[in-house]
Amino acid sequence: MFALRRWWTRHALKAGMVTLAVSSAWLLRANDGAMIYEAYNWVTRPLQPGLSREQQFENSYILELQERIVELENQNRVLHTMDDYESTATQKGIRAAVIGRAADHWWQQIVLNRGSRQGVAVGHVVTGPGGLIGRVVAVSPNTARVLLISDPTSRVGAKVSRTRAMGVVRGQSNNRVVMEFFEKLPDVKAGDVIVTSSYSRLFPKDIPIGRIESIDLTKSPAPEAVIQLSAPLPILEWAEVHPFEPQETVDAPVLPGATPENGTIPESGSESRP
Amino acid sequence: MTTGTRISSLPLWRQPWAINSMVTAASVLVCLLLLPSRIPGMELLGVAPHWLLIWVVAWSVKRTQWQGAVAGLVLGLLQDAMTSPHPTHTLGLIVVGVLTARLQKQRYLQEDIISVALIVFAMAVIAETVLALQISLNQLLAADSLYPSLGKIWLYHQRIALSSAILSSLWAPALYYPLNRWWDRYSPEP
Repeated sequence: MFALRRWWTRHALKAGMVTLAVSSAWLLRANDGAMIYEAYNWVTRPLQPGLSREQQFENSYILELQERIVELENQNRVLHTMDDYESTATQKGIRAAVIGRAADHWWQQIVLNRGSRQGVAVGHVVTGPGGLIGRVVAVSPNTARVLLISDPTSRVGAKVSRTRAMGVVRGQSNNRVVMEFFEKLPDVKAGDVIVTSSYSRLFPKDIPIGRIESIDLTKSPAPEAVIQLSAPLPILEWAEVHPFEPQETVDAPVLPGATPENGTIPESGSESRP
Repeated sequence: MTTGTRISSLPLWRQPWAINSMVTAASVLVCLLLLPSRIPGMELLGVAPHWLLIWVVAWSVKRTQWQGAVAGLVLGLLQDAMTSPHPTHTLGLIVVGVLTARLQKQRYLQEDIISVALIVFAMAVIAETVLALQISLNQLLAADSLYPSLGKIWLYHQRIALSSAILSSLWAPALYYPLNRWWDRYSPEP
């Protein structure tokens, strides 16, 4: 008891400091670093981008429009044979500037300068010049953190716009992603446009992702294609946040005994964190 | 005793330990705010310097391994807050803090900027390796792991470990020098 008291009189300040530091760090972690990102937003406000590099973005816009046209043409052809086609209402998005990147080397994330105060919420879908970028994984009052589709843990249900061949797009930490097809012999060729599929739970359908660069049909267990993303992720300065409610329940049949999150079921083009 | 009464007669915010801890916390905050930024010239293959690691090394160089471990824990929790808690950054930074404090610097390394840069280089590789090991374990053990195959993880690890180590060691003096000067002046137990 005496030893304890002596230890306390000698180390009270130090112990208090350590407790304070650890508990405040834990508190910050508990609310996803919202305060740090608020401070970051405030500090970088004078540096946030104006309009520049317009040429590159214009090119990306043109590419996006071309891909949308290809997608619309294909849809139109399918529509003639279908009666119960439901249209996807496109809502106006929230424009946001990219003010930061991932705070670590293993994640592919960006930080936007719009947050819950402007109506951004977790699960909203983010597009940019060129097409799909990612989805919001954390928000603070004035910032939002976006997990990019190039992140290795990101999965997006996708399809080839020309032939409707389905697959899952996985990130590879650079501007190329890999698409794994569900069929053994998908009808695809280099240059085909990839868009999000209607089976995707976390993304709305028919948003352009990119173009097929090369195909490896011999890959086991599923054929793979390398896709060049049409959005210039490394130099992104602006993005648009679209309100979207992730569908946790879909009508598509799910294998009995399988959890829908594990990404192995064809119908679940999902993306989540382990 | 006389010094004790003299110090405690000062208002709280002017006492040396309060000033010291405020400056220390402010330096951590600066590092945190530098993390998401990609300032031109501070970037190599999309990788920025690991400011928190430089801070932990600067802190642990002249302290005990327990102090190094606590610094690693706190800054690891902060980095978890800014990215994602799985896999955790605390393990890597605790290892870095303990190893830096345990290094027999008096015997092998001189106390100068070059040796600190060397320590940071090695520690950056170690920190990234600890993260890669966690990801590999998750990939091997969890059935529904979202991570890519082991080959891809370690290929990526090579790339970012090298660029992070080079950049961090180059930028280490910028943080180490002012912090070290400050702590030398306001050492808590003279």
